[in-house]
Amino acid sequence: MEKKRLFKIMNRAERDLIINYAEEIRSRYAVTVIKNPEKSLAMIKMREPVKQGLFYIGEVIITDAVVSIGNAKGRAAAIGDDYDKTLSMAIIDAACNCGCFTHEEELYALEKEQQKQIEKENTLFMKTKVDFHSMDSEA
Amino acid sequence: MAYVAVSGGEEAIEESIKLLKYYRSGTNKDVSLEAIEKKLSLLVDKVMSEAGLYSPMYAALALKQCEGSTEEAVFLLRAYRSTLKRSCYTNVVNTEDMRIVRRISAAFKDIPGGQILGATYDYTHRLMNFNIGNEKSRRLYKKMKEKISRQRETEVKKFGRVSDLLKNEGLIDKYEEDNSKPDDVTENLLEFPASRSAKLQTLSRADTGYISGLAYSVLRGFGQVHPTVGELRTGYVEIEVPYSDDSDESIYIGEILITEAESLNQSEDKDQLKLSSGYGAVFGRNENKAIAMSVLDYELEKGGDYPPDDEEFVLMHGDSIEMNGFISHLKLPHYVTFQSKLDAVRKTRNENQEQENNNEDQAQ
Repeated sequence: MEKKRLFKIMNRAERDLIINYAEEIRSRYAVTVIKNPEKSLAMIKMREPVKQGLFYIGEVIITDAVVSIGNAKGRAAAIGDDYDKTLSMAIIDAACNCGCFTHEEELYALEKEQQKQIEKENTLFMKTKVDFHSMDSEA
Repeated sequence: MAYVAVSGGEEAIEESIKLLKYYRSGTNKDVSLEAIEKKLSLLVDKVMSEAGLYSPMYAALALKQCEGSTEEAVFLLRAYRSTLKRSCYTNVVNTEDMRIVRRISAAFKDIPGGQILGATYDYTHRLMNFNIGNEKSRRLYKKMKEKISRQRETEVKKFGRVSDLLKNEGLIDKYEEDNSKPDDVTENLLEFPASRSAKLQTLSRADTGYISGLAYSVLRGFGQVHPTVGELRTGYVEIEVPYSDDSDESIYIGEILITEAESLNQSEDKDQLKLSSGYGAVFGRNENKAIAMSVLDYELEKGGDYPPDDEEFVLMHGDSIEMNGFISHLKLPHYVTFQSKLDAVRKTRNENQEQENNNEDQAQ
């Protein structure tokens, strides 16, 4: 699975689900933590539309971690300070990289459910779309 | 008169700090961080924007710690930020990909994708709703969750920019993408003339009231009289960081809410055959700040003789920490400098008195 997609699903998932997957991997494979989860800053780079240049709008607090299963490294980063979930995401990433992650189909199903929720919420916003009616002009 | 260094007040200061807790202890009702984050989100957004740090939960904590003072909360967040290392820069965020929750144009009635009002107080009666005083949060939360679950799904679409329509008609200048590294005012002091990236970063993290006031002065005649909001949009943008140095892949780290505005103005070229736009983008839902920023962006690009056209004036006086810090320092002990001023006044008065006495003696 493409990394961006994998991390989007994991990021949006309930933390307990991700932690459970990681614990299952840990029970079957030796996981080495290369970098413990740690808070840091990521500077957000934006494109502005007027001159098409770049600028920094500000920073965001992230947590990142790196692990390995055998020779396969796994890494993860996420906005916020959820150490356990970030470490678990790194473990799942390592499992994906060594071909031993067995819940991929479940993640695809979860992705569909996540998208559905976003689209349901989106309906509320789209209901506020203005429907203009032209007023009759006086003859 | 000799200067004498004095010390003291340590115990009084300690007791004063303890007294702050007394002010937060006024009721046995608690305010959870989650409640501040979710129910006072516009305040949280303002603090994050002025701190230049996107972290709703920490902004909520900062607000709780300092009794809701915006400038203190900004100070706390900035101070905390300074304890963390910067581990990476995100991939470039293009707001064209924004998941829109509000998007309007004051320039055109019909815009591709339509005008999405989203959640706005614009059309509310500003009447106090006393029922909210006894609102049951649990019931409200459940009701809204159920409401969302009953909705059909609507595909999330991207909305092109209104300004792109004008660019395609040749009414606004088009520019090639400029990927040069932006300046970072958190790492290097502002230099003048400031780069466009430094200006936008400085305005985005400026005090909301400050730039709103300056933009208002522009509207009142101290600058371009009345820009038109070409587009105002609020929505979620996805944030990604590189997966690793030797990979083209990226990690999705989450999404953040931002508001951006483009204001349109008649161009300064002599024939006035084109329009120019100003840009504003801020963390959270804070549209007046985004609009004000777009107004000032245009004023600074255009230049002129009014204060809002002056880079140094605009960019050096709007940082919440700097301006509140400097004003705040006025209340700290200035015993020596004030004594000096007092001595000067007394000396002058004595000299004047002596002069008057001499004049009177001579007259007699």
